[in-house]
Amino acid sequence: MSEPTLREDTAVGPPEHLHPLFLLTGLGGSLRGVAGGYVAIGYLAVSGRWGTAFFGMLALIAFMTIGLFLYWRRFEFRVGANEIRIDSGIVSRTHRSIPFDRIQDVDITQGPLARVLGLARVKFETGASAGQEEGVLQAIRLERAEQLRTLVRARRTHAVSVEPNTEAVELPPVYEMKFPRLLLTGTFNFSLAIFAGLFGLASSPVGEAMGFDPFSRTFWVSILSVSGPASELVMAHRYATAAAGLVLLVLLGVVTGIIRTALTDFGFRLDRTGVGLRRRRGLFTRTDVTLPVSRAQAAVIATGPLMDRLRWREFRVQSLAKDEGSKGSHVLAPLARDAEVDRIIGELGWQPLPPRIAWTRVSLEFVIVLGVALSPLFLVAIGNLVFNPIVGGPFLAVLLGALGLRWLAWRRTGYSVDGDRILVRTGWWRRRITVLPAGKIQSVDLRENFITRAFGIAWLQFGVAGGGMTGHSIPAIPRGEARKLRDLLLDMGV
Amino acid sequence: MVSDIEMIAEAVLPSPGADVDPDLLPVEPAYKNVLRARMSVIWLVLWAAGAVADQAMLQETAAAGLPTFVIPALAAVAILTAPERIYRRLHYKLTDRLLQVVRGWLFHVDTVVPLVRVQHIDVTRGPLEKAFGVATLVVHTAGTHNSIVMLPGLAPQRAAEIRDIIREHVRTDFA
Repeated sequence: MSEPTLREDTAVGPPEHLHPLFLLTGLGGSLRGVAGGYVAIGYLAVSGRWGTAFFGMLALIAFMTIGLFLYWRRFEFRVGANEIRIDSGIVSRTHRSIPFDRIQDVDITQGPLARVLGLARVKFETGASAGQEEGVLQAIRLERAEQLRTLVRARRTHAVSVEPNTEAVELPPVYEMKFPRLLLTGTFNFSLAIFAGLFGLASSPVGEAMGFDPFSRTFWVSILSVSGPASELVMAHRYATAAAGLVLLVLLGVVTGIIRTALTDFGFRLDRTGVGLRRRRGLFTRTDVTLPVSRAQAAVIATGPLMDRLRWREFRVQSLAKDEGSKGSHVLAPLARDAEVDRIIGELGWQPLPPRIAWTRVSLEFVIVLGVALSPLFLVAIGNLVFNPIVGGPFLAVLLGALGLRWLAWRRTGYSVDGDRILVRTGWWRRRITVLPAGKIQSVDLRENFITRAFGIAWLQFGVAGGGMTGHSIPAIPRGEARKLRDLLLDMGV
Repeated sequence: MVSDIEMIAEAVLPSPGADVDPDLLPVEPAYKNVLRARMSVIWLVLWAAGAVADQAMLQETAAAGLPTFVIPALAAVAILTAPERIYRRLHYKLTDRLLQVVRGWLFHVDTVVPLVRVQHIDVTRGPLEKAFGVATLVVHTAGTHNSIVMLPGLAPQRAAEIRDIIREHVRTDFA
């Protein structure tokens, strides 16, 4: 694939359009995009101007349909010998060509409607700066999408190693999640996000207008007063009611967690393919993403106090490509045993973690420095405690709690040089072991500030390509050791 | 922006970076003037805003006239002290494998970038930098954290020279 593509060559291929049903599937996306419009219409409706509201709604839908139609009409892509060309834009045209060499992989996503209609959204992953949607085909037939993916893979591996029927023979998966484990994952994902949602609704103008505020006493009292006998019952057994409420709260949290997990992780399956690991998951929106192993930059084994006690872990990989959604890192196993994690690490072509890791602990100044940084607040809290214990007490407790958590985190924080990579263990509540190969380190920062300097400790922070995981860093290492570690890692990596 | 604690800490404690590595090179002293000019502009804006607020809102209160006179005093202290200190901290080192930039006054940052990890390089010169005859070298790495490493205050020829040295090493190592 060395010869340059000639513009007037047949190498460019015939023009193709998106599937006409895009007009239908695309409408959903457009409808989500005009939240401001609904607010306006809702306002009109609430203020009694139904005619205007109706007209506004019609205009909005007409406007979006015309917009979609024009987009569809003006959108063209061509699959050439060496590149994919995408011509788009209603008024200002963009002619983009993406060489096959640059395409890391093809992500296929299917929303619920698209699944019914047999369509798929195709995204060419180019490893360009995160957040840029470089090459997206909003809706084409699923078969065509799979064809494109096979084509891209074949071009990348120089047309030998990938034959189309590799997909047909299903090898046993590297990792998969059966239904009971999905439920368990959901339970660990216990979430009270629903209350955040209720809170959001309550504080929104709509909620206020409806008199919907689950955080005010009067709201519940008024609901109960409608159902007379129930309120007497509640008032009579208020402790039992409180307990029942608590149970309900926990139940709600668990159910929310399970639903959220089921939506994304249903039918989670990880397979080994020619270039990497292929992940399929999703209940309504099915996604099919391949992570080329050579693109994996770092890995995180995450767990929590309870999950850890039960020996469960989550395994994620930071890659150059962004995962769907905003999260960035690719979840390769939502809930796995150590052996399964080791298997996936092995499939990445990395050494498994040693059974016993000799952690070098960070210095206790990690905690002391926080204490010093918080000292002005401590003074305020103690002052308050003397003059106004009701405010000062809880304030002091919060500060002490923060210090206590830092101390717990300190007991777990450590690092270990393991062959040509570094392992970093952090956190007490959010327990993480980061596996960072020295060769993937892009830059190293040694950070100090006016407090840590006095204690002679420094933070080592690593720049790693790809998004998702914020700041790979080792806290509170004595300055001299930090310098030595930095030089060691840079020597290994370059 | 200038806190007493910092000043004391700065005076008492040795400044790390300059103390350990004699190979670290300072940048052009003209960079101090760039910093002074830049800070003057910022403080001027602050002062203008303060003076307007003073006229508009504080006339009847005890704080009348305070911003109009206190801000210039603070500005004078800041402009006289900070650039000197920032300049004193800013050092760099270029070896055949690494670029090291040591900078920061309150928050020390000591960045090392292996030359093979550099994605692309810019030499930028803003109007103030042009006026004082310096340039900034901007090194981009693929990392998402601190992916942009800036080395300000270089002589333009030196910046171009470093750029050319680094350019020799730039290669893509992603599959």
